[in-house]
Amino acid sequence: MSVARRIRICWLAMAWALAGAGALMAHHSFAMFDQSKTLTLTGAVTSFEWTNPHAYIEVDVPEEKGVKHWSIELGSPSILQQSGWKFSDLKRGYKVTLRINPLRSGQPGGFLIQATLPDGRTLGNGPGRGPAAGQ
Amino acid sequence: MRSITLRIAALALCCLLCVADWAQAQSANAPPDLNGAWGQYRGGRGADPKLAPTPASPIVLKPEYAKAYEARRAAEAEATRRGEPIANPSVLCVPYGVPSMMAVAVYPIEIIQTPKQVTIVAEAFSEVRRIYLDRPQSKIDDVPPGYYGRSVGHWESGALVVDTIGIKESVQYQRVPHSDQMRISERIRLVAPDILHDQITIEDPVTLEKPITYTLAYRRMPNYEMVEFVCDNNREYVDEQGVVRLKLRDR
Repeated sequence: MSVARRIRICWLAMAWALAGAGALMAHHSFAMFDQSKTLTLTGAVTSFEWTNPHAYIEVDVPEEKGVKHWSIELGSPSILQQSGWKFSDLKRGYKVTLRINPLRSGQPGGFLIQATLPDGRTLGNGPGRGPAAGQ
Repeated sequence: MRSITLRIAALALCCLLCVADWAQAQSANAPPDLNGAWGQYRGGRGADPKLAPTPASPIVLKPEYAKAYEARRAAEAEATRRGEPIANPSVLCVPYGVPSMMAVAVYPIEIIQTPKQVTIVAEAFSEVRRIYLDRPQSKIDDVPPGYYGRSVGHWESGALVVDTIGIKESVQYQRVPHSDQMRISERIRLVAPDILHDQITIEDPVTLEKPITYTLAYRRMPNYEMVEFVCDNNREYVDEQGVVRLKLRDR
């Protein structure tokens, strides 16, 4: 099964859990991200913020003319560590490839689907607590 | 002399048997050990359906509240379809309170159990609720409204039976309006050695036509260490239209 398909199933499962159970709460709706679109960004990390309610990867992405800066939202540290992440996995200057769902607004921000780290590991973004997608 | 010795021995044996009986009775009546971390349990393929959580009963509001509630839910659904979700309090890192804090996304809870108090810590937003076991409930009008209200409980055949009042009106389950007369009842009990259920009933004589009931399920997480959750980097904000936006950085 492809990674993209697994991610889609993960999203659907989360949507089902939140809607069907009728009792679970989530921090916010993810509707501001366009889940029908996937972008792949490759760039240099400027900061990795292991914070709540969400972690963020700030990344400079080279373009034809100059560099564009992106802010990428992840789950919370609790969710991320269940997906195999550590707070020390990314540092300033690390080159990463990020697959994201971009903001619908067109601004340079998005929600992480999968990160490829300099050591070759691929890590997902929950929202479940199982192994990261792609591993 | 021999007769006295025999009598003393018989008396000692009798005492021992009494103590053993008492200890056994105490053990049978002792509350189960719920201490530790508990994660959301969803059941799934091959799992015993009796252990799975149950969905909430239909939300049936009094007519004077139903129309506004339905209109708001429809507006929220439409805004989400447009990709401009309407904010809820947690977007601003406002705690969920009781009962919603008992099931936030995939975050665990931790139970700390003592003879006089059961404390529940939710990992998401580090929320804490205290259930007093050694005192009666107050009158509703005497409890200042808050996120966690006032909870008292007692053990009943292995179940922790909890009564909660004093939840402020802005702290809502699924955004259902409630009054200061709302009462939340819970039965927290083991349904298998490592599966815990919290059967929740929300009653409100002012806003609800029928009580709302649902059951949450948890699985024991013996080695889990609760993760801290301090909301100090919240980049979501609410614009003038009440829509959730994300703050971006230049560098």
